[in-house]
Amino acid sequence: MYGWIWRHLPGPFAVRVLAALILIAGVVALLMFAVFPWLEPKLPFNDVSV
Amino acid sequence: MAVGRAQRRLNGALAIVVRTFGELLITVGIVILLFVVYTLYVTDLINEQKQGDANDTLERSWADPVAVQPAPPVTPELGTGFTRLYIPHFGTDYNFVVVEGVGQSQLAVGPGHYPGTALPGQPGNVGIAGHRIGTGAPFNDLDKLNSCDAVILETETDFFVYRVMPMAGQVAGWDRIRQQDPRCARVPSLRGPGEPGGGPYGRTVGRRIVTPDRVDAVAPVPYRPDDPLPKAEQVALVTLTTCNPEYGNSHRLIVHGVLVRQVPKQQAPDYQALLSRIGMTL
Repeated sequence: MYGWIWRHLPGPFAVRVLAALILIAGVVALLMFAVFPWLEPKLPFNDVSV
Repeated sequence: MAVGRAQRRLNGALAIVVRTFGELLITVGIVILLFVVYTLYVTDLINEQKQGDANDTLERSWADPVAVQPAPPVTPELGTGFTRLYIPHFGTDYNFVVVEGVGQSQLAVGPGHYPGTALPGQPGNVGIAGHRIGTGAPFNDLDKLNSCDAVILETETDFFVYRVMPMAGQVAGWDRIRQQDPRCARVPSLRGPGEPGGGPYGRTVGRRIVTPDRVDAVAPVPYRPDDPLPKAEQVALVTLTTCNPEYGNSHRLIVHGVLVRQVPKQQAPDYQALLSRIGMTL
């Protein structure tokens, strides 16, 4: 999977590394700002009131 | 030879499947770790920002010269901070702005005041809920509060010092404990002699673990939904609630405190002055 993505990144080595880092940052941002804020309130330890 | 080549191609395909499966497992593991980091740390950072904003708004409203005259207590608007909570046992820098409401968006700002329950200093029961895990975790150590530990609420005009009530095992010998520990001198057990079941406050102890349906934990007289006392005869209490066990939601941890002192801000302009006045050092 990761090998396949790496082979499909364009350009020389340095450009590929940069593109890979941007991809990783994008996925982490999507998780942190969209997926986790949606998921977190569903966890049991957020029920603190009677 | 042809058989060998087919075999090698099969091995190659199998290797791709196994490798991809492994990569997916590693990815899932990393995502779960990231989620733990988010829950335990990133929510704290988000909360710090929101607490800071709520604190600024509160400071501004208290500094407002129009409001210098102590206004009659009005129900705060949902989501606005209106009092500050201090628990000296959790450290001298422990303080949170308490907002009105116990919905998720309010609890994301800080501890939330149950709407309709008493306001600080009033007779009845000030109900406050707070997160135990993540989102600033104001009530992370609520289970470590002992009887007579102070729970302080600051309003625009006063500091209200509550102290945690005697634990279930201490009620019987409370008069003796009270004499030994000066912090407990003003903490009543709220049990009248000879009253059946200890009287209206017979079920109110320092710490209780209840099921989530016990909404009467924040009733004016705790665990008495029948409201046995008129407002004027109700004791001024504070009730803190959070989840229990620490990472679960099967129960709620409840801590009850009783008002022992009211210190106007003319006598103690800030928290440090208050602590020295009530005999606690920073």
